[in-house]
Amino acid sequence: MARIRLTEIAAVFLRAGNLTFGGGDPTMAVLQRELVNRRKWLTAEQYGLIYGLARVTPGTNVLAFYAGSAWLLRGLKAAAVAVLSICLPSAAMVVWLTYSLERWGSIGWVKAASEAIMAAAAGMVAASAWLLITPFFRKAGPVKTLAIAGGAAALAIAGVTPIPVLALAALAGCLWKGPPPA
Amino acid sequence: MNLLLLYLLLLKATLTTFSGMSSLPLVRADFVVRHKVLTDQQLSRAVAVSRMAPGPNGLYLVSVGYIVAGTAGAGAAFVALVTPAFLIIAFLKFLGRNAEHPIALRVTQAVTLASGGLIATALIPLARSSIDGPFSLTVAATSFLVLVATSIDTVWVVVAAAAAGLARRGLP
Repeated sequence: MARIRLTEIAAVFLRAGNLTFGGGDPTMAVLQRELVNRRKWLTAEQYGLIYGLARVTPGTNVLAFYAGSAWLLRGLKAAAVAVLSICLPSAAMVVWLTYSLERWGSIGWVKAASEAIMAAAAGMVAASAWLLITPFFRKAGPVKTLAIAGGAAALAIAGVTPIPVLALAALAGCLWKGPPPA
Repeated sequence: MNLLLLYLLLLKATLTTFSGMSSLPLVRADFVVRHKVLTDQQLSRAVAVSRMAPGPNGLYLVSVGYIVAGTAGAGAAFVALVTPAFLIIAFLKFLGRNAEHPIALRVTQAVTLASGGLIATALIPLARSSIDGPFSLTVAATSFLVLVATSIDTVWVVVAAAAAGLARRGLP
């Protein structure tokens, strides 16, 4: 396969990251189509390996996915180009939106819209917890799911800070016997 | 807040979690509770703003960085957000298929589940700061139901909430 230009990598990742709403999964689906099916830059096995590794890489999984897939294409420079292409324009937009709300948030109609958006944000956070936990009822079983998620919530309510809670969860994951996760 | 401290606190939040929103409880613990440089209301706003833009959900950290320390803070937060992503290169080089090892998967699964539990508890103060009556409760509940039951893009939930807020007050 001919050496892929960094500008080509930037164009593909720029389009996937900044024209796809809804977080990481839709973006990874777009990239799978572009990188594996359409351009054949990666094999399905490479895609699967990067997808699996991105899941165990700390931080935002989809960013690890971008870095890993671009690194396989053209090394470290490509990884940096991919991550920046996919995030910088969106980050600039987030800064502009934050500035606008901080600057004009006290104007009556902006305040009314902003307060409703913040109420919606509470719903989004609840949905985030729900969507994170509920698939595990099938994958890990209800006992493990309730024990770990509920235990973490109980510890947090009791005042334990998040790092020890996550460390305990990791330990529980190591020690918990049972079938390998799906 | 000093930029290095801001970067390190956000890096701690991203390095110890496995998805965009999972860092929320750590960010709240450090910035709202411990250092008091952010309010729950501002944190809610950061989450909402990040959902109005394309890109990963973790971009709310950039909004947090901007609120805490301006444009330089947004830059520091951006770097903290993307830094852990490059760990995958080391994983690709040295771990390869061992990432599919049952213990690695069990640990990731347990940490993700605990993150879900922590997010649920982080919701309590966020809801207290943003839900103050039947209207905001309805907006929050409707957003939750739409997001868990449909595949409608989050940006439309944000647009609909803003429109409902405007309609309630009367357009400018």
